[in-house]
Amino acid sequence: MSERAEERLPGVQYSRWSGIRKHTMLCCVSLVMLYPLLWMVSSSMKPENEIFTSASLFPSHFDLSAYKRGWFGLDVSFGRFFLNSLIVSVLSVIGNVMSCSLAAFAFARLRFPGRHLWFSLMLGTLMLPYHVVLIPQYILFLNLDWIDTFLPLVVPKFLACDAFFIFLMVQFFRGIPRELDEAARIDGCSAWRIYWKIMLPLSTPVLATAAIFSFIFTWDDFFAPLIYLGDPTHYTSQVALRSFIDSTNQSDWGGLFAMSSLAVIPVFVFFVFFQRLLIEGIATTGMKR
Amino acid sequence: MVGAAVQRQRAGRFVAMREGYGFLLPWFAGFFGLTLGPALFSLYLSFTKYDLVSDPRWIGMANYVRIATADAKFSQAMHVTFTYVFLAVPLKLAFALSIAMILNKGLRGLPIYRALFYLPSLLGGSVAIAILWREVFSADGLFNQVLAVFGIKGIGWVTTPETALYTLVLLTIWQFGSSMIIFLAGLRQIPQDMYEAASIDGASPRRQFFKITLPLLTPVIFFNAIVQTIDAFKAFTPSFIISEGTGGPVNSTLFYTLYLFQEAFAYFRMGYASALAWVLVMIIGSFTAVSFFMSRYWVHYDE
Repeated sequence: MSERAEERLPGVQYSRWSGIRKHTMLCCVSLVMLYPLLWMVSSSMKPENEIFTSASLFPSHFDLSAYKRGWFGLDVSFGRFFLNSLIVSVLSVIGNVMSCSLAAFAFARLRFPGRHLWFSLMLGTLMLPYHVVLIPQYILFLNLDWIDTFLPLVVPKFLACDAFFIFLMVQFFRGIPRELDEAARIDGCSAWRIYWKIMLPLSTPVLATAAIFSFIFTWDDFFAPLIYLGDPTHYTSQVALRSFIDSTNQSDWGGLFAMSSLAVIPVFVFFVFFQRLLIEGIATTGMKR
Repeated sequence: MVGAAVQRQRAGRFVAMREGYGFLLPWFAGFFGLTLGPALFSLYLSFTKYDLVSDPRWIGMANYVRIATADAKFSQAMHVTFTYVFLAVPLKLAFALSIAMILNKGLRGLPIYRALFYLPSLLGGSVAIAILWREVFSADGLFNQVLAVFGIKGIGWVTTPETALYTLVLLTIWQFGSSMIIFLAGLRQIPQDMYEAASIDGASPRRQFFKITLPLLTPVIFFNAIVQTIDAFKAFTPSFIISEGTGGPVNSTLFYTLYLFQEAFAYFRMGYASALAWVLVMIIGSFTAVSFFMSRYWVHYDE
């Protein structure tokens, strides 16, 4: 259906005025919604005494000193925290894409005894709240001496623990014509080659969607790093922001806003460049974010 | 001849087994080692007293009995969580649906609005946004500065026990974007000729909404409601940040997961926290079961 055809729906009185009214309303809603975000960014560039005295988005003069103050506001610099976040997020993306696509390929394409049982168990884990496995996992990682390392954050991703991504990929793989792998089979291709040479190259959209969401979820994750990371040099940016509000208490709001603004930039960049992919991902799978 | 065919079939089945289970190897390791095993272990722990130092001591149903009868903080956490869930989710969905309806009526600039409305939903899970929210609703924060323009003197919304939870409800509603996208996709599925037929028969837009749009959208509404509710029961970051981990002021933002976190990692009552986790499973499970049962009476499936 073309854009034009969608613009005129029966049963609705179209007039120039109703259009203008709607646009005005939507613009107001957008403004109210985005104002806090804009305020955060503008506060990070205001002189300290203006932050809580004026609701205006425009500082009397631009003052970027808050970025420097915030960056070095804790004993360890924010460069370290962002690097830690990046390491954990990138490793999680690699782990999730690899392990989940392997499992999804088996569920979607291979016929083997017990397939249905394991598939329904996998769907069952989708419903299980993380809190149930939290404490035994903590005890396990404690005994492995993994506390205060990135391993508890990253290793589960390499073991396909995010069932949601398996489900997402199964759905996509099922849409790829079976004739392709049947033909390859007849030519003597192994399952591994079909996975590597046919499935993965044809699945770049879903792999990209999984990779991006996996990055965003890990980047924003607060619970696991809060529990597992104790030494400030290992903090991810989210945990660091939290200790920033604890340590400065009343003093450096500019620095706090500056570091908060920096912490949302990676997600914002994905939003700008991959918006279409993200929105399609949500529309087709009903993801919650 | 027959023997050879059977043998070949057997060999084929063996290869299929090897391939299937080979590809599932990482998942099996995760499933047994990090999901099923830990889940069973936490079920066991929930019947014990365990502080990580001495061995778990079996105390039977004592943890559950205490949760059900003698834990005022648990009741408070339940009260806060249920208030939050049953305010935030319906309001969020209502808002998401209204905006989706407006956007769906053939408006120019749909992709731009859709993107702008989606942005808070994408950013919203982070600590940075929770911090921002705390400052927006603090005594001299943005919200009160705006009120001051109208000559109203606001209070410290996050530090007042009566209002703190409502700022978190607002934060959730603010993130209505992804539900809106799902509603938009659902609205697209409704056949246009239904509206054409209805308007020829003289049905008003209002009547069309209640007789066509809403019934045909019920599966999507149901789906959104389930996903958002389960998610809301598990909310953690905003209450942790706004209250600096305490659930305060006066436990007014003590979300269930925050209480569980405190029991486990502040007081190291691992057995009790495990019992709390299983109670959460029961709450979410029974909520989902009841919803599916009720859905027979209001969700309209085409097939």
